[in-house]
Amino acid sequence: MVKLAAKCILAGDPTVGKTALAQIFRSDGAHFQKNYTLTTGVDLVVKTVPVPDTVDSVELFILDSAGKELFSEMLDKLWESPNVLCLVYDVTSEQSFTNCSKWLEKARSQIPGTVLPGVLVGNKTDLAGRRVVESAQARAWALGQGLEYFETSVKEMENYEAPFHCLAKQFHHLYREKLEVFHALV
Amino acid sequence: MRKVDLCLSSEGTEVILATSSDEKHPPENIIDGNPETFWTTTGMFPQEFIICFHKHVRIERLVIQSYFVRTLRIEKSTSKEPVDFEQWVERDLVHTEGQLQNEEIVARDGHATYLRFIIVSAFDHFASVHSVSAEGIAVSNLS
Repeated sequence: MVKLAAKCILAGDPTVGKTALAQIFRSDGAHFQKNYTLTTGVDLVVKTVPVPDTVDSVELFILDSAGKELFSEMLDKLWESPNVLCLVYDVTSEQSFTNCSKWLEKARSQIPGTVLPGVLVGNKTDLAGRRVVESAQARAWALGQGLEYFETSVKEMENYEAPFHCLAKQFHHLYREKLEVFHALV
Repeated sequence: MRKVDLCLSSEGTEVILATSSDEKHPPENIIDGNPETFWTTTGMFPQEFIICFHKHVRIERLVIQSYFVRTLRIEKSTSKEPVDFEQWVERDLVHTEGQLQNEEIVARDGHATYLRFIIVSAFDHFASVHSVSAEGIAVSNLS
């Protein structure tokens, strides 16, 4: 049995629901933040997630940092040595989806030459009438970038756990791969 | 006096702390004299382990076999308890694709009762330590 630890960076434009997603995950769906507050610094959510079909688990250290450009200089320090990435956009905002490539690049540049497992999360699916980014389009882009794709409605508490469980699974998989590498050395 | 490998569990040496633990790859693997077995970190850095000699030793040469370790800091203590560690060595290692990093340190002032190894950063999400050996002499027992 092993308990892994992973630094998870939560990235995406302001107001896409990064903090709401992190908080609802932290509280197991007990806490949906109705009022918006701009994240200016950073919040840390720590939660242990079991890895399916194993006795292992991953303790996720989710770094919820500001999405606003204004604070982007701080990110370089906060985002140092990430292990996994949770990239969030708002399905009713084309801009927030387009900017995902920028966020992804910034995250990956933190650990050049090393794989950064990640997920893309389309949030606010409850606003169906205002949706502008289609699932197929987002999924195709995610796939091309090696990210797994999820859609959530944090407001309706739908599917908010799946992205994190997937990250835990991917990180655990990576660990298993490295063990093979270590074994093969001698 | 006889020069021996001071970092062997068979000589009474112990790893008394490690910040990561996978039951299948425990820190004892570092001092079992077998480079095939290893201790692995399990995510995020820094990570550390402390080796206790249970006696006063003077280390002349230290060899660390590892993989994916980038910055390694070694502190030592000459106390009876694992306290009052002082900075001893700091090294930036080179990544050696597909083979163990074999870092040799010729020690100055190698008097110690405990060694603390801190993996400050790594070349990947995880790093492994396969063996630590310390050539030197046992000076005296802890009184």
